[in-house]
Amino acid sequence: MLATISRRRFLGLTAAAGVVAALGLPLLRKEASSAEERPKARYALIIDTTKCTGCGACIEACRQRNKLPEGLSYIRRIVKGNERNPWFLMVQCQHCANPPCATVCPTHATYRREDGVVLIDPRLCVGCKYCMQACPYQARIFDEKRGVADKCWLCLPWVLGGGLPACVEACIPGARIFGRADDPQSEVAQLIASGRAKPLHPEFGTEPSILFYIIQEE
Amino acid sequence: MQTAWGWPIAIYLFLGGMGAGALLIAATFEFSGKRYQYDFCPTALVGATVPGPLLILGTLLLIFDLGAGRREPWRILYMYTHFSSVMTWGVWLLTLFIPVALIYGFLEILDAFPATRQWLKSRRWLRWTAFLWNLPLRQTKRIFAGVGAVLAIGVATYTGILISAVGPAIPFWSTWVLPFIPIPMLPVLFLVSAISTGLGLTVDLAATLALGSVEQRLKSLPWIHLALIGAETLLLGMMLITALMAGGSAAKSAQEIIAGSYAIVFWFLIVLPGFIFPFVVHAYAIGLGRHSPVSGVGSGMGIVISGLFLRYLILISGIPAAL
Repeated sequence: MLATISRRRFLGLTAAAGVVAALGLPLLRKEASSAEERPKARYALIIDTTKCTGCGACIEACRQRNKLPEGLSYIRRIVKGNERNPWFLMVQCQHCANPPCATVCPTHATYRREDGVVLIDPRLCVGCKYCMQACPYQARIFDEKRGVADKCWLCLPWVLGGGLPACVEACIPGARIFGRADDPQSEVAQLIASGRAKPLHPEFGTEPSILFYIIQEE
Repeated sequence: MQTAWGWPIAIYLFLGGMGAGALLIAATFEFSGKRYQYDFCPTALVGATVPGPLLILGTLLLIFDLGAGRREPWRILYMYTHFSSVMTWGVWLLTLFIPVALIYGFLEILDAFPATRQWLKSRRWLRWTAFLWNLPLRQTKRIFAGVGAVLAIGVATYTGILISAVGPAIPFWSTWVLPFIPIPMLPVLFLVSAISTGLGLTVDLAATLALGSVEQRLKSLPWIHLALIGAETLLLGMMLITALMAGGSAAKSAQEIIAGSYAIVFWFLIVLPGFIFPFVVHAYAIGLGRHSPVSGVGSGMGIVISGLFLRYLILISGIPAAL
């Protein structure tokens, strides 16, 4: 919607106005996001790989809710282990506290909300794909139709309304646990505190802040 | 292997490097006074005039490779404001380098062909530029050559920083200079390769084609080429060895380059035309005391082609870290 307005108005705008917009849009957005949000929620999504059967229901549910074209999803399945004893690693945006995608983004399109959710503003994305290169989890896909980068946004509108991300709702064996890490009584907070649920590949240094994994030690 | 960036980006990296390198050579000729030793200096002429158009072509390729930014070009303006991104540095460098290079090239044409000066001066519709003709041409040109040379070093180096800044996502690209020196190798390698391809374009190719032989222009040319080839061999070799020692995806990239699916590109489109052939030709020229036109043009073309495929190889062989 906003894109069409700016396109229509563009004819009448000068290059200077464009620069003002480039500087101004992120500022507007920050105000809006801090005003709408309740006090500092911290979400956590834990994937228990010992329960995951690799069925792919989460991949399909994600695709449908986000209206992604056939074959594309914010979630990727990686087969681990050996042929006799495979297990599955479902990878999506880890919502890092130190997100390299936001650092390398030449515009202000990728940003991290105060509650830790990393989002892309498609109005600002130029589609250079630098973020796709910089994400060590390869969690980003490219929306060819709009020409912008895209990724898991934790189904934020649903979550803010008290609902669940599509992948959590769809998970058949209950391998996905979603909750608020800032509530010490919650299952997710306890799993993280006990050290059973850990960030994936902490050596990347990006500090995943929402996704955690329970992985059987081999 | 990464699939987000392909040929358009590889060609841009190559054009950016060669353009920056060519301008550096022209500026060197300018400031060393070599430019003024002869009536006509094709090296300075090509080195000053070609970088602007080359970088414009490269920038068009970059824009062509964008998604939303290609369809809605005003979005490109957003790319000027996020300074943590190496791409934003690059956008600024290109914005500054291209006009400086174009002006430098224009002034070099005016200096090399006084007739163009007279012609432009006598145009009625250019009468408003009269005050410009009072400026001292050579001093003005030197200012643009100097600023252009500084920006050229920036352009040549940043292309390597851009790629290596993805860090752990594609480990091969951020391979260190040495296992214990945490500086990425690519910016250094790209800078040396930029100078090498710039020299190949402005001296080996341009001067040989324009003058029939090259040695009267730059007696030390074979030695400079041998030194550059030696440096590039060392840097590329160290990068591959460091990557192999690092293990993981970086080692896999190096293996694919040396003996895997990219080995043909590496040995036959990079090492042979850009390292072995010019090395032999220039060593031979030292022994012989002169360059034949064929060897000059041949080594120039070989070095330029090798520079293009080097960028392509580095891009395409980037293997994302395993999860």
